[in-house]
Formats: sequence, C-alpha cells, structure tokens
Amino acid sequence: MSKGRRKKRYGMPSMLAVVAAAICSCSVGLTGCGSKAEDGALAADSELRIEEQDGQDGDVQQGLAPQEGEAVQSVPAGLDLAAQDAAAAQGAEMAQGMPFAQGVPSGGPADGDIMTVVNLDHELDGYQPLKKSYNFYLTYKTVHPWWDAVALGIEDAAAQYEDMGVVIEYEYLAPDKASAQDQIRRLNEAAGRGFDVIGVDVADVERITPVINQLMEEGQKVMTFSSSDAPKEAGCQRIAYVGNTHNYEDGAALTQILCEALGYRGKVAILVGTKDAPCHEDRALGAQDVLSAYPDMEVVEIGYDGDSAEAACQLTEEFLARHHDLAGIICCNMSNPVGAARAVIQAKREGEIVIVGMDHDQEALRYLRDGVIYALGVQDCYSIGFDTVQVAVKIADGLLPGEAYPEKTEEMTTIIYQDSAAAMLQILYGESDR
Amino acid sequence: MDGSQKDMNGARQGGIERRQTVAAAIWGGLVIAGILLATTVWALSSARAGTDRAVNVVSGFYLEELAGRRAQVVSEELRNDLARMERALDTLEAEDLASQETLRRFLGRTRKLLGVDKFVLVDENGIVYTQRSTTSGLSRYSFLAGELTGPTISTLNLYGAKKQAVLAIPVEGIFFQGAEIRVCFIHIDIDAMLSSLTLQTSGEETYYNLYHRSGEGLTNAFFGRLQAGENLLSALKDADMEGLSYSQVEDDFAAGRPGRATFTYQGIREELCYIPVEGTAWMLAVLIRDNVINSQISSISATMIRHNTIQIVITVLAMLGVFLVLIHQARKNARILLEQEKADGDRIRAALAQVERERTDMENIHKAMGSGRWSMEFDEHAQMLSCTWSSAFRNMLGYESEVDFPDKLESWSDLLHEEDRERIMKEYWDTVRDYTGEKTYDVEYRLLTRQNGWRWFHAAGRLSRREDGSPITFVGLFVDIDDEKRLEAQLEAQNIDLQDALAAAQHANRAKTTFLNNMSHDIRTPMNAIIGFTSLAAAHIDNTEQVQDYLAKISTSSNHLLSLINDVLDMSRIESGKVKIEEKETSLPEVMHDLKTIVQADITAKRLDLYIDTADVVNEDVLCDRLRLNQILLNLLSNAMKFTKPGGLVGLRIQQIAGAPEGYASYIFQVKDTGIGMSQEFLAHVFEPFERERTSTVSGIQGTGLGMAITKNIVDMMGGRIEVASEEGKGTTFNVELQFKTCAAPVRQEVIPQLQELRALVADDDFNTCSSVTKMLTTIGMRPDWTTSGKEAVLRTKLAKEQGDSYAAYIIDWLMPDMNGIEVVRRIRSLIGEDTPIIILTAYDWSDIEEEARGAGVTAFCSKPIFLSELRRLLEAPFTVRGTADTDQGEETSFTGKRILLVEDNELNQEIAVEILQEAGAMVDVADDGAVAVEKLEKAGPGRYDVVLMDIQMPIMDGYEATRRIRSFADPALAAIPIIAMTANAFDEDRKAALEAGMNGHIAKPIDIPKLMELLRKILR
Repeated sequence: MSKGRRKKRYGMPSMLAVVAAAICSCSVGLTGCGSKAEDGALAADSELRIEEQDGQDGDVQQGLAPQEGEAVQSVPAGLDLAAQDAAAAQGAEMAQGMPFAQGVPSGGPADGDIMTVVNLDHELDGYQPLKKSYNFYLTYKTVHPWWDAVALGIEDAAAQYEDMGVVIEYEYLAPDKASAQDQIRRLNEAAGRGFDVIGVDVADVERITPVINQLMEEGQKVMTFSSSDAPKEAGCQRIAYVGNTHNYEDGAALTQILCEALGYRGKVAILVGTKDAPCHEDRALGAQDVLSAYPDMEVVEIGYDGDSAEAACQLTEEFLARHHDLAGIICCNMSNPVGAARAVIQAKREGEIVIVGMDHDQEALRYLRDGVIYALGVQDCYSIGFDTVQVAVKIADGLLPGEAYPEKTEEMTTIIYQDSAAAMLQILYGESDR
Repeated sequence: MDGSQKDMNGARQGGIERRQTVAAAIWGGLVIAGILLATTVWALSSARAGTDRAVNVVSGFYLEELAGRRAQVVSEELRNDLARMERALDTLEAEDLASQETLRRFLGRTRKLLGVDKFVLVDENGIVYTQRSTTSGLSRYSFLAGELTGPTISTLNLYGAKKQAVLAIPVEGIFFQGAEIRVCFIHIDIDAMLSSLTLQTSGEETYYNLYHRSGEGLTNAFFGRLQAGENLLSALKDADMEGLSYSQVEDDFAAGRPGRATFTYQGIREELCYIPVEGTAWMLAVLIRDNVINSQISSISATMIRHNTIQIVITVLAMLGVFLVLIHQARKNARILLEQEKADGDRIRAALAQVERERTDMENIHKAMGSGRWSMEFDEHAQMLSCTWSSAFRNMLGYESEVDFPDKLESWSDLLHEEDRERIMKEYWDTVRDYTGEKTYDVEYRLLTRQNGWRWFHAAGRLSRREDGSPITFVGLFVDIDDEKRLEAQLEAQNIDLQDALAAAQHANRAKTTFLNNMSHDIRTPMNAIIGFTSLAAAHIDNTEQVQDYLAKISTSSNHLLSLINDVLDMSRIESGKVKIEEKETSLPEVMHDLKTIVQADITAKRLDLYIDTADVVNEDVLCDRLRLNQILLNLLSNAMKFTKPGGLVGLRIQQIAGAPEGYASYIFQVKDTGIGMSQEFLAHVFEPFERERTSTVSGIQGTGLGMAITKNIVDMMGGRIEVASEEGKGTTFNVELQFKTCAAPVRQEVIPQLQELRALVADDDFNTCSSVTKMLTTIGMRPDWTTSGKEAVLRTKLAKEQGDSYAAYIIDWLMPDMNGIEVVRRIRSLIGEDTPIIILTAYDWSDIEEEARGAGVTAFCSKPIFLSELRRLLEAPFTVRGTADTDQGEETSFTGKRILLVEDNELNQEIAVEILQEAGAMVDVADDGAVAVEKLEKAGPGRYDVVLMDIQMPIMDGYEATRRIRSFADPALAAIPIIAMTANAFDEDRKAALEAGMNGHIAKPIDIPKLMELLRKILR
C-alpha cells in the first residue's frame, strides 16, 4: 500500500500550489488564480508536478522555506484522472470555490531532508537585541505534549540568546482544560505585571480578539503564536503571529491522501480534538470540504476527543462497532491518531482501515512505523517555539512587522509516511527500534 | 741486520696474532648472539599459549570489574546528585520565596552550584519553576502525574531526542505564592555523564552504554553494532548466543542481575557484560569484541618475540659499531690536536705582538693625558690575584717606589677619603662582580696625597672576562681632576648665591608690588569715605545730626588713614636706621595699666575678653624706651584684637624670668589670642615687611602688613627676641623676650611686720592670678590660701573664723563665674568685722560699681594686672598715714584770654588750627610764614603773645630758622616766648630737631586735639 509513497511537506506555499493545482485542473477554472494556477494546470495535465516554491512576501523563512526545484516528484501509476476530474468538477460547483486538494501529492523532499521536518538545528537569525534582558508571558490553550514541543523551541532560543549575553525570562502557562474565560483572566493578569511582550495561543478568536485589542490600546505588546491566530483580517490588532497558518490546508491535504489511498470511495470517520479549538476545527473543515468533492466518499461519524487519547480510542471503538465497513479515519489533532490506532489494533483490523492524522506523538509515530497509521502531518513545533521568541524579542525592541519579521511567520507541516517513521522517531525521540 | 730482521719478524708475528685474536672475538660474538636469539624465540612461543588463556580469563574479570566500577560510579554520581539537591533545598530561605524574581535567582544560583542543566521546583498545580521560566509541566514530566514518595530517577524521552535523566525528590512544607512546592528535580545529560565516565577511550573496541531493564537505550551512543537508541534485548534476539541464552539475559535484565554473555551479532563475535546500576532501573553494559581480544593477545605475543629478536641483533650491532667508532675517533683526534696546537702557537705569537703594540700605544696616551694606569688580575671566583699600580699613578700621589706604595689594593683604598670610601669600594666590587660585563667603573673621589693633602681624582676602568662572565683583568686609568673640581664647586656656590639673590629680589619685588596694590586699596578706602562723607556733609550742612554722623565717620576714616601713614613711615625709618632707642626710667606697672586703658575700649567694642596678668615680676622699674615698648605691645595687642572674633580671648602677661646678669632683668611679654591664627607657611614670613596672610581686599581686615615687621625691628633694636606660635583657627601667641637695665632697687621684698604670719585669702577664677597673687603675699610674709570659687571663699572664711585663725586680708576677683565678687564681699563682710581689708581685683573700670562695692564692704580696688608694689601699697595702707587725695584732676581746658600766634602757610591748616584754638577760648593771630611771624613778634613785643605754634616747612623762612631768630631777640622776655612746633614732620628726629632749634614742644599734624590741649596747658601753666 505504501509503495512509492514519499514524505510530502506542506508549507503554506506548497499548499497554495496544491489547492491552486486542484482548482485550476477543474474543467471550469476559476479566474484570477494567477500564474501559480497556471503552473498547477500545466502540472496537473498528465503528470501532476507539484513544485514547492517561495510563496508570498513574508512567507519566506531562512531554513524553512522549501527551495525551488527541490521537490519535484512524479505521480505514481494508478492515479485515477477521471475520478479526479469528476471530483474537481463537483468541487468547482462549491459556491465560494473552496480550495481542495486533488490528486495524490506523493512528492516530497529527498530522504536526507527528513532532518528538516523539525528543524532542531535552528539558530538565531543574527538580530542583535537592544536590551540585555526580556520578560515574556506566553499562554497557550491547554497543558498538552504538543505545546511541550513548542516549549523546547522556546527554551533553546532563550538558551541561545543567553549565550549572546541576552537573558530571556518567560512564563509559559496554560490551564488543564482549554478555556477562553481562563485565557482572558490570564491575559488581564499578565497585563498588570509589566511583561515586554504577551503571547497568546488564541483559545477562542471571537472572545479573545477584543481582549487583545484592549491590551494593545493600553500599550501592551501582544502577539499570537503556535496553533491559533486571531488574524488581522478578523479585526485583531495583535502585532504578529508565529505558528501554523494552514490548519485548513493540513486537514485538506491529509484527507486528499486518505481519499487517494482508498481509491476515492468508502466510509470515513473524522476525529476532532477540542470543540471550538480553531486549529482542530479548521482541519476538520478542510477534511470535509475535500471529502464532499468526492461523491463516493461518505462521512459517517464526527467525534471530539477533548484532546484525550483514551477518549479517541473509545470513540473509535464505537465507530468500528457501528460501521463494520468503516474504511478510513481522519484525525485532526495529536491524540486522535493514537486513540484511533489503539482501537484498530484492539479490533485487529490494522491494515484494513486507513488512518491519517496530525502530529508527532511518539506512540503515533510507532504506529506509523508499524503500518497501523498511514500518514501523519508533522508540525515543526520546535521552530514555532524558537521563532516565537525571536519575533517577541523584536516586538519588545519596538520593531513592527516588515523587514525584521513577517506579520505571520509560517511554520511548516510535513506529511510523512511509514518509510520516514523510524527516522522521525530517531530524530525526535532517539528511538531506533525496528 | 739480524736485529732488524728479528724486529720485523716480531712485528709481523705480532700483527698476525692480533688479527687472529680479532677474528676469534668476532666469531665468538656471533655465536653468542645466535644462541641468545634462538633461546628467546623458543621461550616466547612456548609462553604464548599460556598467555592466551590467561589473558582471556583476565579480560573477562577485567570486563566485569570495568562494568562494576562504572556502574558504581554512575550510581554514586546519582546518589551524590540527590544528596546535593537535598542540601540545596536546605539553603532555601524565606526571602528566596518572596517573589518569582527571588525564586528564580535562587534556582539559577543552585543550578550553577550543582552544575546541572536544570534545577527545578514544581508546585502542587504542576507549575514548573526554573531559573528563567515558569511553565506548566504536567504533560511534559510524566512523573509529576502521581505523588512522589521518595527520590526517583527516571529518564525523559524528550522531543528533540535529548535523552536526559531526571532526578526528582519530594518536597514538603515549602510554599510559594500560596501553592505548596511538591517536587524538586534536576536534569542530567546522560550522554555527558556517560562520556565523562569513559575515562580511557579504547577506540572502537570497547563500548559502554546504559539501558533500561526493558533493553531500551538511555543514551544516543552507539553500542557495537547496535544503533543509537536501539533496544539491546531486541537486538540480542537476533544474535547467536553462546553460554547464556537470550532468555537468561532477558531474565537478568528484568531482575536487575549482573551477567556476562558472548554472542555473535551481524557476523561479529562480541563479549557483553552488564551490571545493574544501584538505585535505578538501569543496566550498565560493556561490550568488547572477541576478535579484538584475540587479536590483541596474538599481536602482543608476536610483538614480544619480534621485539626481543630485534633487541638482541641491535645490541650486537651496536657493540660492534661503538668499538669501530672509538678506534676511528681516537686516530682522528690525535691528528686534529696536532694541527690545533700549531695554529694556536701562531695565533698566540700574533696576539702577543699586537698586545705589545697596544701597550706601547697606551703608555704614550697615558703620558700625554697625565693619567696613571692600574690593573688587577682575578681568578675564576673573582678573587684578586695581583694588583699593579703604574709608576705614573704612584707619582701622582707623591710616591716614588713600590716600597712606599706597594702593589696591593689597600695601598690605594686606605688613602680614600672617609666620605668616599664606602661608595667607591662598593662601586669597585660591583663592577668586578657584574658578570654581565655591562658595568663600567667610572668614579670620582678624594685621595690623600703625600704632599698636597686631599685631591680629587677621576678613575675609570673595565674588565675583560671569561665566557662565564668571571673577571680576568681589571684595567683602568686615573686622572687628577682637583683643579676642575674646585672650579666647579666655586661656580656652583656662585650659582646658588645668584639664585638666592634672584629669589630674594623677586620675593621683595613681589611683596612690594603686593604692598603697593594693598596700599592703593587701603588708602583709597578711607579716602573714599572721607571725600564721600565730606561731600555728603556739605550737602546736608543744615542737618546737624546727619553732619555729626558724617563727621564721626570722616574722623574714623581719617584716623585709620593716619595710622596707615604712620606705619609706613615708621617702617621706612626703621629700615633706614633712623630710629634710636631712648632708654628712660619706666614703670612696668604703668606701662601695663596704660596699655589696658588704651585697649579697653576696643576690647569692649569688639566684645572680647581681655586677660592681663603678671608673674614673678620683682623688678618693676627699669630703664627702657617706654614708647617703643608700648608700641611693641600695642602692635601685638591690636593685631590680636584685629584677628580675634567677638567672644574670643586676648591675653597679655608679663613674666620676669631668671637668668639676667647683675643689674639687669629679663621679661617675657606674652600676647595671646584665640583668633583665626596663621598658616605655617605664613608664620615663616610673618615678620617680613609688606607681608599679610591674606590681602586686605580679600580678608576685609585692613592693615599695612608692616605692624609685625615694625614690631620685630623694634624688638631687635632693643636686643630682644620675638617668637610666634600659631595654629589656624586656634589662635596665636607672641612671646617677646626683653632684657632691661634695672634702674631702682627691686620692689621691696621684705615682709610687712604687721601682716607677718597672718592669713590671706585670694579668690579668683583664673588660676594664674591666684598663683601670682599668692606668691606676692608669701613674699610680704603672709600665709595665703587661694580658691577659684566665690562660694568656696565664703565657706573658707566661715571655717577660718571657726578655727580661730581668720583671714587678715582678702583679695577677690570682681567677676567670678559662680558668684559675683561684690556678693562674695557682702557675704564675707557679714561674717567678719569691718576692719579686715577686702580688695577687689578687676580688669575693668570700676567707677560704675564703686558705690555699690563700697556699700558691700570693699576696702579698695586694684586693677589687673596686679604688681607687688601695688599690692604692698594696698595692704600697707591701713597701717600708714593716708596721703591727701589727688587734687589735680578735672582741670578745665580753657585758654580764655590767651593769645596765640599761629605760624602756618597752608590756609586750610590755618583754618583748622584757628578753629580749634578759638574753641578753647584762645585768641589767635596768624602768620603765613616764619619771616612774617618774626616780624609780628618783633612788632608786638613781649607779653602780647603767650605762645607760638610754629609750622616747620614753610616758604620764605622755615620754622627752625624762625625759632632761632626769635630766640636770638634782644629782649629776653620776647626771646623766651614758648614755641611749639606744630608740623607734619612727625618723627622723633623732627621732634629732636625742633627741641634743638629751641622750641619747647612738638605736636604732630594732623592735630590730635587733646594732645595739643595737654601740651598747651603744660606750657601755659
């Protein structure tokens, strides 16, 4: 099943390319898609060529931006172009031209580039801070291993600054359970304590945006980071965002891969994390949009595990019990794939059910290695943490987004398959069992 | 022929024998070498098999030992870390928990102290506190999930593959921001820990690693063929086990038992040894490749054999080689030596010739320069071997032969001047012992010559040295520089004199400039007042009161200006030697009392305290220039008053001191103040003319800077001494020591019979007064007691009365701090009868209190300072007939009806004089010059004028000439008319000249009205 599969990395630019390619390969093309769409159209003709390239201004980050021409992979045999066309036609009918992925994006970086999925060799960008010490307050959604990975990036950036003689002190705190109310309390409290910059992983865009705006008006410097932004477009005045900007696309891409693996037909369940968590919901939305483009794909279940692997396992057990012909599970957060895989193994149905999911959980990676999980979208949490500190320092120094740092710092998500799982385990956890 | 044949045969025979011996020796050596080689090879190969076995066993033990020790070190390291954490927590103080900042500081400090990656505290909410951060840690640190009951060592499989051991201990009773701290933990980098344990790196042959009992690797290190992070037990599953089975190893791991296994993995046979790490669920494993051990052993054996064989061969070859080289070298050396000797001979001859030439040259130079050569030879230890003085050297010192001046160092050094000897000898030996050879001996000194006494010489020399720097020959020369030296000294002295003269001139010049500047200021200041107030007075002429005020001010300024001028002139006269000391009979008590009277007004005005007393004055009447003595003391007193702030003290004391020759008496006049004092720098110049510590413009205290110079000059002229001691801010003391001829017998020292053996009481708060008066009382035969307290005086009176030994006289100070003198008298008087004399001592004018005092019972007053004669007079008074009271007091100053001829050329002066004299009731005629005066007098005839006031400097005829003419009038009555010089020629010699010209008196201008009146009164009486 995994023959010829290769890691696929999705930075924002690559996702745009995928979506653009999908849209422009529709019989009824959308106008105004620009040159990228044309590239995509050409690529999608007989051989889908997906070229990762530098995206819009500000997207490019040193060491992160995919290099042009680096990852051109040919599409393996078995791509059902007719099905694609049909699906694409259907997708094009969607009122807003919602972008969706098409074809199997089995391109990816060369083997050695697995090392850059998570850029653990991140180094400071050479910016010379104006002050000798900084104090940041960073709050995120909930206590969870995903943010522990972000914490490591923060820690290492702080350590590198300390080697330069610049002390970074910070608080990096979250409630046990995601709560907008709790986040509001934390933000207001932090505002009174004189931090250089306040960073927030937005728990609820609608409720947190006014709080951020108020803090900004009071003269606080507020940024958003890691998993969820409250974007400028939504009226938020936060200074910058560092993190994943493409949750929707991640969900769409993973689903596209699942569809391809299933031959664009079959019943699927969607596991989501916390209700109303923007990143989880966006991925689920991306998944549903893609699925809706394929007439033979059917969403039979959507369940929220509240970021608990146990809950995910239980939900999956229930799905399996209810739908004996369940063909695939789309997992939108870190705990989803762990629970799903456990349940599938318990039911002894590994190999039958295609699981795609998010993140780098050690257990999930083992399941990927063992073939229980089909694909995982690994986010570069480490770089999120690292860049958050770099951007925060510049914000504290009074710099505004522009040359010094982009308004949105894109962090990469890379989709990896079984053949990269062992290497990923080795890289992230020093584990190298066969 | 036979003989030589035989010799040749013998030689040939000897040659053959020698060759045979050599061959035998070579063959013998080769055989021995062969045997050595063969036996070594045999011995080594037989040992090899045994060694293999032994090494195998030993390597097993070694491996176990190695693993055991490493495991022990790991567990000890972990235990130590736990203990250190406990200790670190013990140092946590309450103030460390005061805020996040203090807590972070503590965490940072402790982290550094323990040398760990992180030192962390976790509270009950799972909040993790580190040096730089505060984070939520429940998801990151799994061991925080449950309650920690004891020290826990776990590993952290961190995202990012940094394997770290976490050592955690439970914490109790520490609260931070309301939450209890439950756990303390540290991070240890296991890779780092393990790499620090692997002390000797054995390349690729030996591997160490730490594993969980599950076989999971704890480090990122490779372990033989196992990849980093690979599970050991899983790998063993695939290996061919020997000895122990896989399950046995698995059991050992699970149970934490040590063990040793041999297995083949991926084609390589390896030796594994594992041992549990105490206190953890870890196993320390050591892996060594079997083939490594075997190949090591074989290679060791083979190497040993090879090495031994090579060693023997090399030894034999080396022996032969050495032998050959020695023979060859000996032959070569003999040849070289011969050549060298020949070359040396040539060189030495050439060098000798060169030396001879140079010696002759040197002698010529010495002769030309007049210098004497000397030289000394030294051994390797810098000990002198010989010393040679050249004949020129000897001759310069006046010696003829070696007998007079032997060739030894002492001949010269004994003649060195004492002041030079140490320096020269040191320089000499320093030069000899300076092994660097850099030093040159170059000195000048005095030597005692035979005929010419001490003379200066210049000597210079250098040493030739051996390679090690030790001296060989010290050679130098020696020149007579006495004449140059003397010239130099002379020049230097002249130079110093010139410099001194220049400095003195410059100083004088500066002082004069300063003086002129000050004078300009000091004269302008009063002049300004005079001119200013004069014009003001003119403007307000109708306002009498105001005019009076202006005039008073004008008068003050005028007086000041006058004193200024007087000082300047006085000084100039003293300097030009015009002042003469005129000794007259003088009463010191009078001088002192007059002085007191003079300064009293200023003392009161300046709110100062004046202490004036005497000590041991026996001779009260002396021959001295009273005017000058007065001037000295007045100068010193006014100086003291000038520089003492209100409330301060000014003291004057006269003390007679012993040590004067017969007919003379010595005194010390001490003037003391508690004023601003003088700096030590200024003290050195205080008696120099035109010197003031601060320029008047700055200090605000006016003066000419001449007072002290004048004083000093007068003291000098009087043959006395003046000394000054002063400290800035404390005060100044002047001591003037003068010796006078005594003119009368000393004050009568004999006792007053009526008072003999009677008691007297002295009460004065000043101890010095008490002491002085007590002495005087003893002198006149009384038994004095004294006290510094008024109250005590009353008490003593009471006591004396009770004892029946009452005081016959009281001398009591008017002002005592504890009780007013009058009050003391009143109380004493109430205890004793009316007869006993009570004398009040006072430094003040007592007229104001006289009535009250008499009422209180005071018998008499006595003014301080009290002299013996006065005391005597007062005490004798009750026993002698009292004389009539003074009657000549209070005579009216009126010259009504007197006619005065004023001879004055200056109209203004005329006007002033006329005004003054008319004021006093006199009638005044004015003559414009001497000639007019003579004419007027002649016309008027005798009886018309009572007195003539004669100016001296006048046009047509001066005052002297006019006086002489008048005195030469035929009419004796007219010729005898009193003539008083009234002149601006105010000096003593002017006065004298006036008297010599026949005048009767002299009054200086500007006119001091009382003085004029006094003089007129005297003359007209």
